[in-house]
Amino acid sequence: MSTNCFSGYKDLIKEGDLTLIWVSRDNIKPVRMHSEEVFNTRYGSFPHKDIIGKPYGSQIAIRTKGSNKFAFVHVLQPTPELWTLSLPHRTQIVYTPDSSYIMQRLNCSPHSRVIEAGTGSGSFSHAFARSVGHLFSFEFHHIRYEQALEEFKEHGLIDDNVTITHRDVCQGGFLIKKGDTTSYEFGNNETAASLNANVVFLDLPAPWDAIPHLDSVIAVDEKVGLCCFSPCIEQVDKTLDVLEKYGWTDVEMVEIQGRQYESRRQMVRSLNDALERLRDIKRHKLQGVERRKRMFNNTIDSNDEKVGKRNEDGVPLTEKAKFNPFGKGSRIKEGDSNYKWKEVTKVEAEIKSHTSYLTFAFKVVNRSRDDEKVNEILRSMEK
Amino acid sequence: MNALTTIDFNQHVIVRLPSKNYKIVELKPNTSVSLGKFGAFEVNDIIGYPFGLTFEIYYDGEEVSSDENRDSKPKNKIPIGKVRLLSQEIKDVNNDKDDGQSEPPLSIKEKSVSLELSSIDSSATNQNLVNMGSKAQELTVEEIEKMKQESLSSKEIIDKIIKSHKSFHNKTVYSQEKYVNRKKQKFAKYFTVEYLSSSNLLQFLIDKGDIQRVLDMSQESMGMLLNLANIQSEGNYLCMDETGGLLVYFLLERMFGGDNESKSKGKVIVIHENEHANLDLLKFANYSEKFIKEHVHTISLLDFFEPPTLQEIQSRFTPLPKEEARALKGGKKNSYYRKLRWYNTQLQILELTGEFLYDGLVMATTLHLPTLVPKLAEKIHGSRPIVCYGQFKETLLELAHTLYSDLRFLAPSILETRCRPYQSIRGKLHPLMTMKGGGGYLMWCHRVIPAPEPVSENATAADSSEKLAEHGAKKQKI
Ligand SMILES: C[S@@+](CC[C@H](N)C(=O)[O-])C[C@H]1O[C@@H](n2cnc3c(N)ncnc32)[C@H](O)[C@@H]1O
Repeated sequence: MSTNCFSGYKDLIKEGDLTLIWVSRDNIKPVRMHSEEVFNTRYGSFPHKDIIGKPYGSQIAIRTKGSNKFAFVHVLQPTPELWTLSLPHRTQIVYTPDSSYIMQRLNCSPHSRVIEAGTGSGSFSHAFARSVGHLFSFEFHHIRYEQALEEFKEHGLIDDNVTITHRDVCQGGFLIKKGDTTSYEFGNNETAASLNANVVFLDLPAPWDAIPHLDSVIAVDEKVGLCCFSPCIEQVDKTLDVLEKYGWTDVEMVEIQGRQYESRRQMVRSLNDALERLRDIKRHKLQGVERRKRMFNNTIDSNDEKVGKRNEDGVPLTEKAKFNPFGKGSRIKEGDSNYKWKEVTKVEAEIKSHTSYLTFAFKVVNRSRDDEKVNEILRSMEK
Repeated sequence: MNALTTIDFNQHVIVRLPSKNYKIVELKPNTSVSLGKFGAFEVNDIIGYPFGLTFEIYYDGEEVSSDENRDSKPKNKIPIGKVRLLSQEIKDVNNDKDDGQSEPPLSIKEKSVSLELSSIDSSATNQNLVNMGSKAQELTVEEIEKMKQESLSSKEIIDKIIKSHKSFHNKTVYSQEKYVNRKKQKFAKYFTVEYLSSSNLLQFLIDKGDIQRVLDMSQESMGMLLNLANIQSEGNYLCMDETGGLLVYFLLERMFGGDNESKSKGKVIVIHENEHANLDLLKFANYSEKFIKEHVHTISLLDFFEPPTLQEIQSRFTPLPKEEARALKGGKKNSYYRKLRWYNTQLQILELTGEFLYDGLVMATTLHLPTLVPKLAEKIHGSRPIVCYGQFKETLLELAHTLYSDLRFLAPSILETRCRPYQSIRGKLHPLMTMKGGGGYLMWCHRVIPAPEPVSENATAADSSEKLAEHGAKKQKI
């Protein structure tokens, strides 16, 4: 049994589990369950013991501080995509629109052996780890390496399918040898890890310095896919140069634009209602003018039913216009069932208009076949 | 041989042609594959090479060329050539997307084309180039066709074409290069053999004009769907797929990577609206029948929502002890085994619709989602994602509103992702002038379990949960 919190599916929330507590969309907190502890929000405290034993996905209710209302949170099993929304940022991170495209384009599956540099905040690492056979992640910043190692251990990734190595890959390449600062566990007679990577992702400032080192660690008998993630077009330009020099082909650069929409409602306000409302106002105005005229001429007939009501000073009251189809003047909640609504979408107030350029390239190192083997197969088929 | 990395017999592969079109072929031993005007080749000649390589078809005169030879064959038969690996540079030429706008710098990097051109004069600018259109080319269409018939190599044809181009020397190196590339794409006889990944299959269908069939899906939308739905090898997923199996193909590739030997236990349960599921596209997948049977189950909407009871099933059929069944003869035996199959299917329906809760719901259907998703979601475990693909934002919008007012769904959101390709040449980087529109939208949320309504005089659960939800309704970044 692996202790990986991110792969596999759990039914009940257990003591010691890492959970993600969803307070709101932009407030998702990683919390490990300890029956003695409580999870504090500004609405009140949620004791872990009230959470443990419930199924994942449960909504947990408490009485709010002060007022006699209820506050809720949802307790979720971590997924890489939720982790990306909640993780502690140590660097810029790769978000789901980019990472999901890269994984799809490089055909990620249990068959993939992935090199990633640098690890950064480990956002992409979690998505890779969920879907691929093995992930070799590299980070040259010592503190970030330590933090990521600790986090990956806690999440059960190291025991499962992730190796992290402290390395400047531009200087030292990707080979993992005995004595290196790495989470890799060497076998008895093993002196160097066999990476045999068929997917490479480079999210570092100078991918052109790292690319020349790839030849010694990528798989030789199959097509290897590479993606460089660079914010500036000048970086892409330099990368293209090195890619060509080192025999990478089918080069293509793309950009991903991800958008999110809010589901909203807009009141349906018809022309007829608008006209009717104006007519109504006009009618009342005229009536008011009439009344005032009569008042001025002091010819008020107290029997006039329309101006029956007067205030304490004996001044007659004018009725306000009554027809108010759009609820003007009162605060209407979007979707109020007394009104008609049209469902609409609204794009986020601030969009990520540029993340990075994604430069893809591919390489087949060994461009030959074993003729003998093919003939053998053919002969065996003839029988 | 490893069929996941190496071209192997009896597998479906995708072949990319110089025209950038795709073709799916099955590699039957000792047969040949015809690529139309790009030539034909023997399957045996490419077996054993890794995927991703480009082969050139060439003719050394022996196989074809003579007219008598052709007459003896059925008409339109493409002569079968030999293959050799194509050098990488020529393949790269493919990347030279025609943009016709930006005037490039004259210092062009060394490329095979430029080398070929070095023996021909060129102009520093295109100042003297008069647009003569097809008049500039002295060879007639017929003459070029004849050369093709004679199975000249593409290089020979292109050389002749250049020699016959009156104003070729007036073009800049850049536009000479472009001209040659265009001609190359037209006359080249080469092809690239790729693994039939889910993305390649989608590309093939789009290329073929089956956009409606695939509901206008894009690679980026599908990739995002797989990630948001947290698809894993060991998961059990409910799925509706109106694309003839493309969505299921994507799921299987992500879960098992095309590996028949996979030990993983994950399953895809396909719910279909017709009597039978349409998973046509799975015929291209290189999984064995046994593998598919183990990992893909199909069940109709009716059976899913109104499954038979065990008593009903057993009242219609009870299996015999094995020895007795084996002893049956002829017609009786056949009908017994037919009924046994029916019986087992019914039992499977019971199993699939029982207490079991699934690890995700993924949808690509034009059925009315606001009525469908809340019902299917009863079978989804808490904390698991629900992701619906839709060609139109409006249908997902209605769904999102419906789910928003249902406490069993957490934070439904509508997402869009678009890939913008660039012309990827040094010094000439810019977005392509045109790209495919469309690509659809995704609705993403999580299935959750509402807390039991607390008894209180002053507040109701709905009240304050709405308040909390509202508080963070804006600005989630993914
Ligand atoms: C933008 S962050 C990566 C973010 C990561 N992809 C994620 O999704 O969280 C870039 C990281 O690369 C590391 N880095 C930069 N140059 C490096 C090098 N030459 N070798 C290894 N790591 C490097 C930096 O320390 C930084 O942590």
